[in-house]
Amino acid sequence: MDDKYLPAIYTGFALGIAFLGWRIDNAYYLQLLIFIGLNTLLALSLNMLMGYAGQISLGHAAFYGIGAYVTAILSTTYQVPPLLALPAAVGAAMVIAWIVGIPTLRLSGYYLGMGTLGFGMIVHIVLREWGSVTGGASGFVGIPPLEIGPVSFASSKSYFFLVWAVVLAVIILCRRIIDSRVGRALCAIHDGEKAAAAVGVNTRRLKLQVFVLSAGIAALAGFLYAHLVFFISPGSFGFMASIKIVTMVVIGGMASIWGALFGASLLTLLPEWLHAFSEFEMVVYGLILMVVMIFMPRGLTRGLMDIYERYRKTHDRQ
Amino acid sequence: MNGTAKPMTGSDPILEIRDVDKAFGGVQALDRIGFALEKASITGLIGPNGAGKTTLFNVITGIFAPDAGDIRFAGQSIENLEVHQRVSLGIARTFQNVELFESMTAMENILVGLYTRTRAGMIQSMLRLPRTRQEEARARDQAMELLNFVGLRDYASRKSGDLPFGWQRMLEVARAMAAQPHLLLLDEPAAGLNISETGHLGELIKEIRKQGITILLVEHDMSLTMSISDQIVVLDQGRKIAEGTPRAVQENKAVMAAYLGKKANPTNN
Ligand SMILES: Nc1ncnc2c1ncn2[C@@H]1O[C@H](COP(=O)(O)OP(=O)(O)OP(=O)(O)O)[C@@H](O)[C@H]1O
Ligand SMILES: [Mg+2]
Repeated sequence: MDDKYLPAIYTGFALGIAFLGWRIDNAYYLQLLIFIGLNTLLALSLNMLMGYAGQISLGHAAFYGIGAYVTAILSTTYQVPPLLALPAAVGAAMVIAWIVGIPTLRLSGYYLGMGTLGFGMIVHIVLREWGSVTGGASGFVGIPPLEIGPVSFASSKSYFFLVWAVVLAVIILCRRIIDSRVGRALCAIHDGEKAAAAVGVNTRRLKLQVFVLSAGIAALAGFLYAHLVFFISPGSFGFMASIKIVTMVVIGGMASIWGALFGASLLTLLPEWLHAFSEFEMVVYGLILMVVMIFMPRGLTRGLMDIYERYRKTHDRQ
Repeated sequence: MNGTAKPMTGSDPILEIRDVDKAFGGVQALDRIGFALEKASITGLIGPNGAGKTTLFNVITGIFAPDAGDIRFAGQSIENLEVHQRVSLGIARTFQNVELFESMTAMENILVGLYTRTRAGMIQSMLRLPRTRQEEARARDQAMELLNFVGLRDYASRKSGDLPFGWQRMLEVARAMAAQPHLLLLDEPAAGLNISETGHLGELIKEIRKQGITILLVEHDMSLTMSISDQIVVLDQGRKIAEGTPRAVQENKAVMAAYLGKKANPTNN
């Protein structure tokens, strides 16, 4: 549809990143932008599954955690170079998603929600209790900074460029999947699973494939997170984190890649702006979810567009 | 499953339904149903409401497994094939209550219909190599041709859910045709169409048959069914009560009885 403009949009996006990286030296702002990038990856990951294929996951932070812990353990405990730990981290999450997905994706609606929720809790408990390997509840310390060959990503600025280059690459790849035979079949499953099967889509296999892809993207974000903060603990990958990812997708609007960027930005910045609400974070997310679902079921971005459309139509009529 | 359908030869029936039973709780929706479809023929499947017509479609397409009996397609049993595998083999259908992908455009609906006739997987889609681009371009051409075939060429980029109901039915036929089927199952395609649309649909069905495609047509519009069918099969309460040429069936006493009180006369609709 807007395929024509995509190269221009991507170029603009890349220039925007370059500009921000060039202008901003403040470490706090850079850090904030890096976190927006990581959250965008998480939102994109869940968006492929939830927004396009219509399959809910309430345990998505588990894959984020698997990505982070696999690279932490490999690069710290076993001193594997991060560049080799990356495929292991992403691969591990994808294999686990595949194994978990086979029985889970037979479920639908609430049951799929409960299934993924249970999976997320199990991973969280394993991270917390398997102390000898994961460091247990107190966390895993001493993760090395990222070095790829001679290039070091120890500075905030270099990490900013790395994370956003990855975000752009993932956006392009997701967009390509969506505008393809596979992407259309995913949307078809969302619209009507029975009809999708009746036109020849192997719905079970396709759902499993997106689930695996989605887990891979979340693990990539986890990998980047681990080498950014050098210290990780199970708390970052629990139920709260999963709900936060769902909230980002819902706010940004399902099935919208740019919406994922918006949702991620908002949920990264909001806690920074409203320091007071840290204790009520869960309550605030719950409220946001409720309000958006009731008044703007298509997400905040599209919801505002819809309201504008309605306003314009009533005015045109007068 | 190999993706491309095999060419059919000879006058062996393309579809054989053998003693199929299907019950829902206490309701015997299909009771030892058996008949066969000749290649490139049009068979009208008629019967009062609740006779079991849609249930038979669901059994043929694999949505329900029959309690007993067998379905053979092009000489082989398809009992163990899943819904999507049967489509690859060459069985396509439409639904009684139109089931389009409503959030997608007319064009995209047809493109999804081409799913079994295209290859690109997730990785190819990400890489977009020349071969994948060519396949996509070819698919779009084919989809456009199909839209043209059903008269929706100018509405390719309209959301299917926003199309008038009659056009949605046409679009669903085009989407089923995209699978390049050997057998097309149409479940009440004329329901909700006006007279001119129904006439157009009749022409379309004859055109499809000319392409060598076998058609099984469930339809309450008797003038349409009787005029285009080579053979009529009549179901009533899960049983086959008559089978034969349109003329023979219209004169059949059991058929008259089945329709009496429900619909006065099968020719009068
Ligand atoms: N999924 C189902 N679960 C339970 N009962 C069903 C189901 N599908 C069909 N039936 C029952 O099976 C019988 C046959 O229904 P079917 O839909 O096949 O009839 P039909 O001939 O298509 O009727 P119509 O002309 O109204 O479409 C009916 O009694 C119906 O209630
Ligand atoms: Mg029916």
